Amino acid sequence: MRESGLLAKMSDAETEKRYTALYNAVVSTFSTGKFDDVERYAKEITEGVVLRDTSVERIIGGILKLRDIYERFIFSEYRDDEEMLYQLLASYEPVANNILTIVTMAFVEAREQVIREQQKAMMSLSTPVLQIRDEILVLPLIGTIDSERAEQILEELLKRIVELTASVVIIDLTGVPVIDSLVANHMIKTVQAAKMLGADTIITGISPVNAQTLAGLGVDLSMLITKNNLRAGLWHAEKMLGFKVIRERETE
Amino acid sequence: MDIPILKIEDFLVVTIQSELSDDEIYELQEDILSRIKDVGATGLIIDITALDIVDSFMGRTLSNIAATAELLGAKSVVVGIRPAVAVTLVELGIRVKWNVNTALNLERGIRLLKRLIEAERRGGAS
Repeated sequence: MRESGLLAKMSDAETEKRYTALYNAVVSTFSTGKFDDVERYAKEITEGVVLRDTSVERIIGGILKLRDIYERFIFSEYRDDEEMLYQLLASYEPVANNILTIVTMAFVEAREQVIREQQKAMMSLSTPVLQIRDEILVLPLIGTIDSERAEQILEELLKRIVELTASVVIIDLTGVPVIDSLVANHMIKTVQAAKMLGADTIITGISPVNAQTLAGLGVDLSMLITKNNLRAGLWHAEKMLGFKVIRERETE
Repeated sequence: MDIPILKIEDFLVVTIQSELSDDEIYELQEDILSRIKDVGATGLIIDITALDIVDSFMGRTLSNIAATAELLGAKSVVVGIRPAVAVTLVELGIRVKWNVNTALNLERGIRLLKRLIEAERRGGAS
């Protein structure tokens, strides 16, 4: 067949195999009028291809090429029977387009899946809740905070407070570049919720610029305990719980 | 429904085991307050570990009980608020007028009560 001549240009043996699979799926669609095989095929290739980063272009290019080849084949076969030719094209074209849509959407879907998973992984990495003394937790926040992340921080923090029976939580904002009213309100919410679980919260590391912004915004932060750095926050937390850390000896 | 109010030393402990109707909440409030008066309790602990949902009425009543108990000379602590419940209460904005002491669990609640009573005693003496 002419198809094989064109496909043979693809040197990669595996690609060859894929095109054969695609060819089979396409033939099955034309003969049965159902898209099951194409969908299955699309799922298979996207699972394999997207992860191994083989070019999407090649797959879609292949499908387009096959479409053209079939169309030319139909033309050459039914050149003399015009009515039959039109009928065939009318039923062939929507099917061919549909196949392309299914395969393309499968790619898009697979990519989005990867992106979602990465986002999730990033989110869980971005909220470490550390226990540094009995009943004292530290939550160092780094990077910008949006609503979704704030929700996640709140959830994670409350979970850890219960798990570790914490009494004091230190939230360190040194690594948060911008603190706007949204972040401030989330902080207040977090502090209130933590309080309901019996944990006091100390906020540390608000930069001078951010402090100015907050003062300018008129957000009421009077209910928060704030300290200028983590060290001072830890000292305060230890004092609240009756800890006293002393240096036993000078190092040489 | 009868909710047991337990007395441990000078403290009363109330454990709410299931969701209560508004009427039951009212009844409970009256029971607790009269019990405080009867036994001369200095502390009250309300344990809501079993509750998955705390609506605004329940939240307000807990706050009322705490305020009234204070008038009767008893400090109160609500213990066992679940993370999801805490989030709901904060979302409801109830905390603004909600000056109820809270603690993680019963043990912490007793610790907090003792500290509060101690602080008041010392404050009163000076």
